Amino acid sequence: MNSTAEIEQSKLTTAREMLGNLVDRRVLTALDACVRCGICTESCHYYQSNPRTEHTPYYRAEMLRRLYRRFFDPIGRVFPQWVGAKEATDEMLSKLAEMAFSSCTLCQRCTFACPFGVETAEIMRIMRAIATATGNAPEMLVELANLAIDKGENAELFRDIYLDQVKELEKEVQDCLGSSKARIPVGEKGARMLYVPLAGAHTIVPQAILFNAAKESWTLGLFESSNYAVFLADGAKSKRIAERVTKEAEQLKAEELIITECGHGYTTMRWEAPKWFGGHLPFRVRSILEVLDEYVREGRLHLDSSRNIEPTTYHDSCNLGRKGGIFEEPRRVIRAAASDYRELTPNRLDSYCCGAGSGLVAVPEWADIRMQAGKLKAEQIQRTGASLVITSCDNCRQQIGDLSEHYGLNVETSSVSELAVKALT
Amino acid sequence: MSVFEIFGAAVALAGAVIFAIGLIRLILATQHRPYQTELAPTKGSPAQGVLYAFTLGMAPWAKESARRHWVAYIRGIIVHVSIFAAAAFLIASPWLAQMPSPLRISLVALFTIGAVLGLAGFGIRLSDPTMRLLSTPDDYFSLALVTLFLASGAASAARIEFLPAFWAISGITMAYTPFGKMKHFLYFFYERVFIGLFFGRRGVLVWRHE
Repeated sequence: MNSTAEIEQSKLTTAREMLGNLVDRRVLTALDACVRCGICTESCHYYQSNPRTEHTPYYRAEMLRRLYRRFFDPIGRVFPQWVGAKEATDEMLSKLAEMAFSSCTLCQRCTFACPFGVETAEIMRIMRAIATATGNAPEMLVELANLAIDKGENAELFRDIYLDQVKELEKEVQDCLGSSKARIPVGEKGARMLYVPLAGAHTIVPQAILFNAAKESWTLGLFESSNYAVFLADGAKSKRIAERVTKEAEQLKAEELIITECGHGYTTMRWEAPKWFGGHLPFRVRSILEVLDEYVREGRLHLDSSRNIEPTTYHDSCNLGRKGGIFEEPRRVIRAAASDYRELTPNRLDSYCCGAGSGLVAVPEWADIRMQAGKLKAEQIQRTGASLVITSCDNCRQQIGDLSEHYGLNVETSSVSELAVKALT
Repeated sequence: MSVFEIFGAAVALAGAVIFAIGLIRLILATQHRPYQTELAPTKGSPAQGVLYAFTLGMAPWAKESARRHWVAYIRGIIVHVSIFAAAAFLIASPWLAQMPSPLRISLVALFTIGAVLGLAGFGIRLSDPTMRLLSTPDDYFSLALVTLFLASGAASAARIEFLPAFWAISGITMAYTPFGKMKHFLYFFYERVFIGLFFGRRGVLVWRHE
């Protein structure tokens, strides 16, 4: 058994090695470009909701910068105090870990506020990776990532139960469309699209209704799109979780992989996964939002906006919007499906995070933190006068539902797909 | 040449050499780091993203923080324009006597304003609790160097006798630039290119939304 001192030393060595290995050109630039001007301060929803020094983006990033300078900066190694370099300690690593996971949702809003464009989220990602490697990551996120890997390795154990459940859901689809021919095919070879849902009927039934209505050639995937290892900044595990889906798509020879309304699930498969698998994937990756927008524009889905008359607004998920470039697609579908659409202010590139992104929503002990971090979003929603909030990310949806209860907003939440089903003619 | 002029010129030349070596080392160290190329098919244009990052992406009407911190935004622009002008003035300074008087007066005005705004940086940094907490001796030293650089530039544009002092201060400033906070002048360009490529590729940086 190692002594506490040895364990601590080993953690510090790991932290130093990881810092050396993970700091690529982009991160190095983010570390060295900041002049601590403080202009990013109000861009952060944490600071806006609770104006404290620890909630400013440059304070958070500076904590890692000081460690980095001590190890790698020529001046920091010789005259640490001159550049504020700090020696790494176990206590410091724990503090960095807590900060990286609970005080930043990696929303990247501060990048666009910064005169340089410093990517503080990339610095926080490095902090998360170090925390994960040194055993300081939230246990819940680690367990969820491990469970997903286990599921991928033992797919046969749950396959039959899953098929039975889907059969039940198929009846709901048939009832809604009034057609016994409507189907939820699972793992069907030759289907043009492989649709990847989340755990929960709300990401299967509405989409199945819309695919059937649009007469799409599709099949439902066995695995869910969520990838908790991404929140841990654990590249190896992230790849293993994503591999479950890519293998299924390849086996079924699907032309397209369609990700459900899941912010990080989309960004992971659309933008990150190709890097892990060494290049282009043998299928196209799209969000269900892009598909629905296409159906509406091509006339494959007919929506009647008079069926949704309540004041409706849309919250941009940071992953889909600011990190994924999906701004207009959901808006076009919502405008076709709802008659009283109102924008949140600010929106799109300037949209504020809901306060629960990047895994925060999955850790029960951080519920108070995310309620406070979401105060700004709650106020934004209230200002629109909307009674229905549409969001295309399940994390955001849960958070906005919780915010509604916490702040007495009295709003309902829905996905774009659910709204479209209500407007279907 | 007087002793002062020889001393000032020698410091400036030595500073320029250290600056060049330091800058090359900085670029090599940065380029030595791996760069993860994005491999996913593009949604937008990386080239247009870079163009956006250097143009509209810095405009106050597209940048909420510039509107919110408009004083700091204007101060930043004036200080940096002054610095670049002072760098050009440094190169041209051996021919100062031949410079037309209106140009010299304009430069005096610009550098003086730049120096005053540079000096104001101390007040800004010390008055904000978070900035004060995070500021290092390097921050204050860099600010002092830049302020002196501009002030001595203004003085020498006004009176040629101050030129040796301007050269000496310029030499010290140049020598320190690649090692302290002032190296951000290089990383500014790196950062804008990176965000332009990254977000441009993803179709995030669009010139106009629907």
